[in-house]
Amino acid sequence: MQIFRIPFEAMASTCEVVLCADDEGTAQALAQTAIDEVKRVEHKYSRYRTDSIVSRINRAAGGEWVECDEETAALCTYADSLFQNSSGLFDITSGVLRQAWDFRRAVVPSEETLAPLLALIGWHRVERRDRNIRLPDAGMEIDFGGFGKEYAADRAADALAGQGLKHGYVNLAGDMRILGPKPDDQPWMIGIQDPRRHGGLMATIPVASGALATSGDYERFFEIGERRYCHVFNPRTGQPVTHWRSVSVLAPRAIVAGSCSTIAMLKQAEGKAFLEEAGMDYLAVDHQGNFHQRGDDAH
Amino acid sequence: MNPRHRFWISRVLLILMVFSLSACAGIQPVQPWEKGILAKPEMTFDGDKLDNNFTEHIYSSKEAASGGAGVGGGGCGCN
Amino acid sequence: MQLKTDATTPASQSALGLALLTAAMALPGADTAQAESAPERGLISLKYLDYQDSQRGRDRISVRAPSLMIMTPLAEVWSVSGTYTVDSVSGASPAYHSQQLTKMEDLRRAVDLGMTRYFSQGSLTVGANYSHESDYLSRGASLQGSISSESKNTTLNLGIGVSDDQITPSYGGIHETKKGTDFAIGLTQVITQQDIAQVNLGYSHGLGYFSDPYKLADERPRVRNHTTVLARWNHHFLRTEGTSHVSYRYYRDSWDIKAHTLTSDYAQPLPQGWTLTPLVRLHTQSAASFYLPTDPATAPGPTFPAFGATTYSEDQRLSAFGAVTLGIKVAKQLTPDWQVDLKLERYEQRAGWSLSGEGDRGLEPFSARSIQFGISRLF
Repeated sequence: MQIFRIPFEAMASTCEVVLCADDEGTAQALAQTAIDEVKRVEHKYSRYRTDSIVSRINRAAGGEWVECDEETAALCTYADSLFQNSSGLFDITSGVLRQAWDFRRAVVPSEETLAPLLALIGWHRVERRDRNIRLPDAGMEIDFGGFGKEYAADRAADALAGQGLKHGYVNLAGDMRILGPKPDDQPWMIGIQDPRRHGGLMATIPVASGALATSGDYERFFEIGERRYCHVFNPRTGQPVTHWRSVSVLAPRAIVAGSCSTIAMLKQAEGKAFLEEAGMDYLAVDHQGNFHQRGDDAH
Repeated sequence: MNPRHRFWISRVLLILMVFSLSACAGIQPVQPWEKGILAKPEMTFDGDKLDNNFTEHIYSSKEAASGGAGVGGGGCGCN
Repeated sequence: MQLKTDATTPASQSALGLALLTAAMALPGADTAQAESAPERGLISLKYLDYQDSQRGRDRISVRAPSLMIMTPLAEVWSVSGTYTVDSVSGASPAYHSQQLTKMEDLRRAVDLGMTRYFSQGSLTVGANYSHESDYLSRGASLQGSISSESKNTTLNLGIGVSDDQITPSYGGIHETKKGTDFAIGLTQVITQQDIAQVNLGYSHGLGYFSDPYKLADERPRVRNHTTVLARWNHHFLRTEGTSHVSYRYYRDSWDIKAHTLTSDYAQPLPQGWTLTPLVRLHTQSAASFYLPTDPATAPGPTFPAFGATTYSEDQRLSAFGAVTLGIKVAKQLTPDWQVDLKLERYEQRAGWSLSGEGDRGLEPFSARSIQFGISRLF
C-alpha cells in the first residue's frame, strides 16, 4: 500500500483526493468516483447554469411553486436549520448582495444601492411544502454556495468509504473530510492558510478523522485604506464582517465544520462564544492577528 | 405454559429490561455520525449465513441443545 | 496545538452542536449506519462442507455438503434470498450409547427462501424452508420483524416460526409427525461506538415423534418444550482494527436438559485483504431425565429400561457431557467483489467434561473435524 495524491480542478480551485492503494491505476480509478461526485454536485447546484434547479427556483421567484428533487429539498432543510441556529445570520437568500458588491471594481455600495437588495433577503419568508419551494418576491434568490463545497467533500468521502477505503482524505480548496488516518495510524498534518500571507501557512493541525473547514476574509476581498471588505456579508446590514481574519473548525462532517466557521465569521465578536457553545474544536485569528482556540478563555 | 416456564420467562424479561435500562442510563447515546465502526459488516450479528447454517446444523445433530438466535431453519432426522 | 486529532465526535456535547450535526445527518448519503436498510448489492455465495466424526479410531458419520446462497435487493426496499443445500451423509451411527455402529447413508436436500421488506425504522421478513431425505420431510415457515428506536441505537426483534415434519423410517411400518412452534424476542443495543450487544429469548413448543427410529430402546416423550437465552456482544478494537464476537447461550427443556454454550471468536484484518479469525466454543449439558446410562453389569451391551418405564433413550446426544471446539477461519478479499474463505474446526466431546461432573463414563469420547471452503461475489 502506498499513498497517492490525485489533484483535480473543481469549484474554481485546486482540489485533491489522497488515498492508499497498491498501484497508481487503482488509485486513479478509486479517486475518480470521488471526483465524479464533486463534479456532479458542482454542476447540479451551479448558479451559472440556467437549467439548474437553483436557477429554476430563482426564476420562479414571486410566481409559481417549484418542485425539488429529494437532495435539493434536504439541502433546503439543512439551510433552514443553519438559519434557525445562527439567529438568522446564515441565510442562503443573501447572495443577492453580490449585485452590489463588485470585488473587481472595489467600490463600497451606497445605502440606496443596498436597501432594495436587503428587502429581498429573508429565508424565513421562503415558503416550503414537502419538496416544493416558492420564493415570495420577484428578484429573490437562493444559492447553496455557503455550504456546497463542504457538502461535496462529504459526498466524495462517502463515495470513497463506500469502496472500503479507510485511509485518506478529500480536500476541496482547504475544506476537507478525512476518511481515516495514514496507513500507519498517524494523523495527517493539515496546513491552515495564513490569512495575511498568500500561499503561506499559519499552522499545521494533525487530523486523523472527521473534517476540517476554514472561512476567512482572504478569499475574495478589496481594501480601502486600512479597511478590508471581504465576501462574507451580514444579511441584515449588507456589510462585510470584520472581526475574524479566519476561522477553522474541526467537526465530524465537513458541512458542519464549514457551517460553524461561517456562522462564527458572521457572529463577529460573538463567534467565539458560538463555537464554544457548539462544542467543536476550532482555531481562529481575530482582526488583530490574535489566535483563539477552544477553551483558551478558561486559562 | 407451566408455572416453571412462566417463572423463567418473567426472569428473562427482567434481565432484558435491566439490560436495556442500563444501556440507556449509564452510557452516552451513540450519535448517527459516530456509527462508522458499527456499520462494518463484522459488527453486525448476521455473520456468514452459510457458515452459520452449517455450524448450527452440525451442533444441533450432535448435542441436545439448539436454537437461540431466532426462528426458522429446517429440521432433519440427523444421525 | 491542543486540538484533538479525532474529529469524528465533537470536542464536547451540546444542544447546539447536536442540532447542527443532526441536521447534517439528514442530508442524503450521510446516514451510513442505519439499523435496517436494504442491501445495495446482491451476493452469491457458494460453500462446501466436509465433515467427519469419529470415536477412538473408528469413523462414524461423514458429511459432504455443497450449499449455494443468492441474495438480491429488489426495488430499493426489498431483498430476497434463497439457499439450496445438498447434504450427503454416510457412515455409521451407534445403535445405543457409543456401541454397535450401524451403517447408514442418506441424502438431504434443503431449500430455504426469505423475503425482507425494509422500512425506515425496521424490517419484516417472511421465510419458508423445505428439506427432504428418504425418511424425513420437514416444512417450515417463519415471520420475523424488527423495529428500531428513533436513534436507531435500540432494536426490538420479534419472530414466530412453525414447522411440520413427517418421519417415515426406511424399515417401514412407522409414519409419524412432529410439529413445532417457535417464538423469539430480542433486544439489540448499541452501547458505545465500538460495542453492540444483543439479548434474545426463545421459546419452542414441539409435539409429536422425537424418538430416533434407528436406535435400540428409544422412546422419548411426545412433547419437548425448550427455552433459550442468548446474549451476544461484539467489540471493535481500535488499536488492532480487529473485532471480537462473544456469545453465551443458556438452554433448558422439558426433558430436564440444561446446557451452557459459550462461543468466542476474534476477526483480525491483515494486509492485502486477509482476515484471520480464530474461534473457540465451549459447551456443557446435563442429561435428559430419561437417559439410560451405560450399565457396568451389562456393558458393552445396552442398558435395559426399568420395568414399566415409558420413556428412555440411550442416545449419546442426550447424555451429560462437555465439548470444546477450536477453529480458525482464513478469508481473503481478492477484489472488492470477490472473497474466498477456508474454515477448519476440531471438536471434542467427553462425558468427563460435563460441568456437573456426572457424565456417563461408559461412553467413548467423541470427536469431529470439519473443513469449510467458501467463495462469494457481490453483484
